[in-house]
Amino acid sequence: MGGEKTVIICRCNDVTLDDVLTAIHEGIDDFELLRKYLKIGFGPCQGRSCIMIAARIFAKEKGLSIEDVLRNYRIRPPIIPVSSKYFIHGDNS
Amino acid sequence: MIGGGISGVFIAYELLNRGVRDITIVDSSYPGCGATFRNMGCFRSSFTSVEHVILMKKSIEEWIKLSRKLGFKLKQNGYLWVARRDETVETFKKLASFHNQYGVPSRVLEPSEVKSVEPKLNINIISGAMFDPTAGRMDILEVFTKLYLELRKRGVKFLNYTKAEKLISDSEKIRSVKTSRGILEADVFIVAAAEGSREILSSIGVRLPIDPMPRHPIVTEPYSEVIKPALIIDWDTPGSPHITQTEHGSLILARDIADSPGLPLNSHRFDAFHLVIKPLYELLPFLSLVNIERYWMGYYDMTPDHHPIYGPVEPYSNLYVATGFSGHGMMMAPATGIIIADWVLEGKPRISIANNLTLTRFKEGKLVKELAVVG
Repeated sequence: MGGEKTVIICRCNDVTLDDVLTAIHEGIDDFELLRKYLKIGFGPCQGRSCIMIAARIFAKEKGLSIEDVLRNYRIRPPIIPVSSKYFIHGDNS
Repeated sequence: MIGGGISGVFIAYELLNRGVRDITIVDSSYPGCGATFRNMGCFRSSFTSVEHVILMKKSIEEWIKLSRKLGFKLKQNGYLWVARRDETVETFKKLASFHNQYGVPSRVLEPSEVKSVEPKLNINIISGAMFDPTAGRMDILEVFTKLYLELRKRGVKFLNYTKAEKLISDSEKIRSVKTSRGILEADVFIVAAAEGSREILSSIGVRLPIDPMPRHPIVTEPYSEVIKPALIIDWDTPGSPHITQTEHGSLILARDIADSPGLPLNSHRFDAFHLVIKPLYELLPFLSLVNIERYWMGYYDMTPDHHPIYGPVEPYSNLYVATGFSGHGMMMAPATGIIIADWVLEGKPRISIANNLTLTRFKEGKLVKELAVVG
């Protein structure tokens, strides 16, 4: 132990293993609450690097399956970040 | 309590603080999963009805107290309503004078004065603005989670992923609620389940006039602080496009787009990107340089007069409702807590204007008028 503060789970937002474990121990009992509380997956990676790592830790801590943990996780459009400039000019097409 | 969103949680919090024990909150999914976590986290009292101004002023006072108690950040950095037309500035003058009458210090600004509120605004295309410095925002994701943990710690029982299917009543009282996990009995029942309240109350033949109208927020990658006010609203473009920046740094852009009530939450509209971004880019040209990261749908639970439905449900002596917030349920939640707890424990709300917002107003034709339904 002791290394938990230096293990990064979400690289976009600098969320550490210690942050995740502390939140779970504070009583967060749903992965969507955890994600929203710590902003895991809220950065430019859109969850691609962090969600599975965080979900696995949550599953292990709560004794749940990964499927159960991710039951409410949704991948939202766009699939990768898109520059706003493409939506400014022209019409809706 | 049926509904574990911000309204249900605040009602429970208020009841708990007044000594009520043995509170159970039933939610069909995880707590906060509906409009609570889908909203922008902004608040204001600069409305166009006396009811809203009074309830929101009380709510802001309570939000400030709670931020100190639970330790979360809340910023009063103001709402900036931008006018593209000269006649809108005249409307703003009337609105500001209405707000001032009720102690909300809104003021009308010349384009040159707008620069001090938001230096990035393109003042060449505006005629003026209205600024309410008492409006603001908070990280609703953090705030709600802290409230949830606080309630759990103090003994409130949350039954998540439990769908309330049917109320069971006799002629005077609700006796129990049938849920997907069995029947629950209680002395008092409170329905605060947003648009889901309709279905639950229809099980006892009560009709709630609520239409869930889809909304389409678009979210950027996080940036350091790029806009100063809590919310900037483009009043003169139809659907009032608006933009906020969250504590985490993402910009959230939205606009009311004509849509059909009750569309499922995955009926994405890809024209939303153009319709939302373009007018806001005209006001804030730096918006051509941001990356769009996420887009979701959510509902405004609209009532015919855009005000909530509060209070007892006749003829039952132990059934109360708090729903139909028409886009303002988060900001109004502390007042909702006080009002409904008053009704349950004292038989009437201490904020007497809440009496104008009961379900009976639709039958009696006593609707409240609200002109500014934005954020």
